[in-house]
Amino acid sequence: MIRPVLQLPHHVLGTPCAPVGELDDVVRALGRDLLDTMRAASHSVGVAAPQIGISRRAFCVDVTGHRKARSCHGEVVLFDPVVLEASSPEIAREGCMSVPDLTGDVARPTALVVQGLGMDGEVHTYEVDAFEARAFQHELDHLDGLLFLDRVVADDRVFRRRVYR
Amino acid sequence: MPHVAVTAFGADRPGIVAAVTGVLMGHGGNLEDTAMTQLGGHFAMMLIVEVPDSESADALERALVADVGSQGLTVAVRPIVEAEAGDAEGSAWAVSLYGADRPGIVHRVATTLAEHRGNIVDLSTRVVGRDASPAYVLLLEVLLPASADAAALDEELRALAVELGVDIHLRPDDADVL
Repeated sequence: MIRPVLQLPHHVLGTPCAPVGELDDVVRALGRDLLDTMRAASHSVGVAAPQIGISRRAFCVDVTGHRKARSCHGEVVLFDPVVLEASSPEIAREGCMSVPDLTGDVARPTALVVQGLGMDGEVHTYEVDAFEARAFQHELDHLDGLLFLDRVVADDRVFRRRVYR
Repeated sequence: MPHVAVTAFGADRPGIVAAVTGVLMGHGGNLEDTAMTQLGGHFAMMLIVEVPDSESADALERALVADVGSQGLTVAVRPIVEAEAGDAEGSAWAVSLYGADRPGIVHRVATTLAEHRGNIVDLSTRVVGRDASPAYVLLLEVLLPASADAAALDEELRALAVELGVDIHLRPDDADVL
């Protein structure tokens, strides 16, 4: 089911999420809602559970067709994801569906290894880089109650979003 | 409710923001977009403030001058006409420049951008290493209309860089919404 994407100043966006633990029907429905919501927002490359009001550690990502993507695993749903390895960071500008009007410069590792439970309940490990790595980390931050605003490299590196690409 | 533009400038010291915003709050003001920063050892504030209908820019300026004027702050309050921001058509670009300081750098770069109908929406400069040979750093954001020729602008900025003896880089400022 497509869920409304919450925006600032909703407090769930600033709240660390609880682990999912075991996969049950409720959790699998959350995974489907994340995918439905991401697909419905044509410019979206990922949605984290707190963005649809569920404070659990789950997100989905799909960077298919993005011009900055190198690795691409298609639609990925992960529950209780953990970062196993991360490379040195690089600065790029990002925005967020939950933060209208603003973008900011954020330094993030350009490659990482992430492990979590998939929709099938099995442990999956993803090696991601470039834009897919950035998308994973942006969603991972949501699970810790962090927005890009918490990560900008300096307080004057936040900008009005001017052009919607 | 109407909006006013408040500017304040003075020697930097602790408590300036608290003092100015205290007066504004006391007059029912609500801060919206603001930029406040240190410039050359001074503190500069620019604030867009929503104020009650009953509040006039002149009265607010008198109140600010009475409260913080004696502390070395120069304050001005002006009414502003409501402007609808609206999404700009075109593309956002960043220009970075660095090199030996000399008069006219900002003017020459801004003139080149204006000739391409570029609209500068953010600009900051810093003089670094003030001793024998100070360096100049300029960072700006510019919106180019869809009809602008970014490649031609890039070429002109490169030529300007050679003429001024500085480094200039133009790059697309594209943010990804995640």
